[in-house]
Amino acid sequence: MKKLLSVILVGAILTTSSLMLSSCGTGGTDTGNSTASTTQETKKIATKDDLKGAKIGVQMGTTGDIYASDYEEEGSVIERFNKGADAVLALSQGKVDCVIIDNEPAKAFVEQNEGLKILEEPFEKEEYAVAIAKDNSELTTNFNKALAELKKDGTVQKIIDNYIGDDTKGKSPYTTPDGTDTSKGELHMATNAAFEPYEYKEGGEIVGIDAMIAQAVCDKMGYKLVIDDMDFDSIITAVTTGKADFGMAGMTVTDERKEAVNFTDSYTTATQVMIVKE
Amino acid sequence: MNEFFESISKSFTKTFITDDRWLQLLKGLGVTLEITFFATLIGIAVGFLIAIIRSTHDMTLGNKKCRKFSDYILKFLNFICNIYITVIRGTPAVIQLMIMYYVIFASSRNGIFSAILSFGLNSGAYVAEIVRSGIMSIDKGQSEASRSLGLNYTQTMIWVIIPQAIKNILPALGNEFIVLLKETSIAGYVALQDLTYVGNLIRSRTYEAFFPLIVVALIYLILVLILSALLKKLERRLRSNEH
Repeated sequence: MKKLLSVILVGAILTTSSLMLSSCGTGGTDTGNSTASTTQETKKIATKDDLKGAKIGVQMGTTGDIYASDYEEEGSVIERFNKGADAVLALSQGKVDCVIIDNEPAKAFVEQNEGLKILEEPFEKEEYAVAIAKDNSELTTNFNKALAELKKDGTVQKIIDNYIGDDTKGKSPYTTPDGTDTSKGELHMATNAAFEPYEYKEGGEIVGIDAMIAQAVCDKMGYKLVIDDMDFDSIITAVTTGKADFGMAGMTVTDERKEAVNFTDSYTTATQVMIVKE
Repeated sequence: MNEFFESISKSFTKTFITDDRWLQLLKGLGVTLEITFFATLIGIAVGFLIAIIRSTHDMTLGNKKCRKFSDYILKFLNFICNIYITVIRGTPAVIQLMIMYYVIFASSRNGIFSAILSFGLNSGAYVAEIVRSGIMSIDKGQSEASRSLGLNYTQTMIWVIIPQAIKNILPALGNEFIVLLKETSIAGYVALQDLTYVGNLIRSRTYEAFFPLIVVALIYLILVLILSALLKKLERRLRSNEH
């Protein structure tokens, strides 16, 4: 028994030290899949074709994640982070070769991190819309109605201009009209407040294009808006399980998502872009 | 009723069959086991080392003054170990993992290595205290007897104290390994594709919560059941000489 124990102990120490040595020496070979060895080297990315075999960072569950996952079969490794900011941090440390994310947040990230740039070549144009549970078609109809009115009177455009565009930034903030009636109760909005300029925290409050449009729609419909901050990949589940009334988080309309929830009319468009190191 | 089963089978297919998602779960399980296994080894190695340093210090020096040069070294090592245990036990594992990934190994592209090291060092602190409690629990007469039989301090430790200590601490050690296994579920924070991460990934694709979460929970439960069964067997084996 004593011998057995000492053998286990020695074995453990030997394995550990050899593991450490091998990991330090070769950058680690223990990920157990054949593509790992090719992605240990940094890969320079200039066009979409370079994505094959690269290490791509994304935020889990976003459209960027879905696009990037198509490259998985071609030998790319996808690193999915809980926050877009973590993916960008990993990029600036060289842990991933590029990050695929929506264009406006990408601009915000590149502004805050030196040595990063956005590639010229964008992915296809896509539409942002609001996700509402399938059994709540009444809300979808009312939401669409309110949204259409706000688009018509220019409120939606004003809100977008307030956050995007160098000349118009901060010049037309939305404020709730006086005497707005909120007698119908609360509407809960599920979002992921780490997605500037669509939704982000400013002084503890969640602001941004989505938050303001949601506020305007709720004012129009007579509800009080409550914003719940959560992980992006939880938003649709929160909506389908009734934990939130609607989800609004720079969310692109995709067929897979349409199977789970209803979408309102689109309120703005965006594209996915690649951020790389300079 | 029929409709109910149909929707269940539909979401089952979506969760496991589409895109070979069961295979992803299996891979995730592999990563979880890999991290747990190597982290356990590091934890045991680090834990025993520290426990021996700390208990040697407590037993031989205690509050006495240092006389020889080796006393000073021991005191210094004990000091370092104390800091290590305080820091590791005083900070959350998620933060340690992120520090390891984003700060200490900032330039490394190998996330799994950072995770193994981080979980191993985390576990080491707890194992150290468990082992120390085991060593301290052995009656002083045991080491006095073995010293008087001519064994030196190291021999006494290896052949008399530690074997008895292990028997006493096995339940607590088993507990620590179970905690470690479950704690690896935070590896997704640094984009490692462990079991929990794959569950979340499937959830983010199917927008259904039930199957991915329940199945991931079941797999962890089964792993823990296997682990406790093995530990129970080992415990019984070690007790077999007590008649």
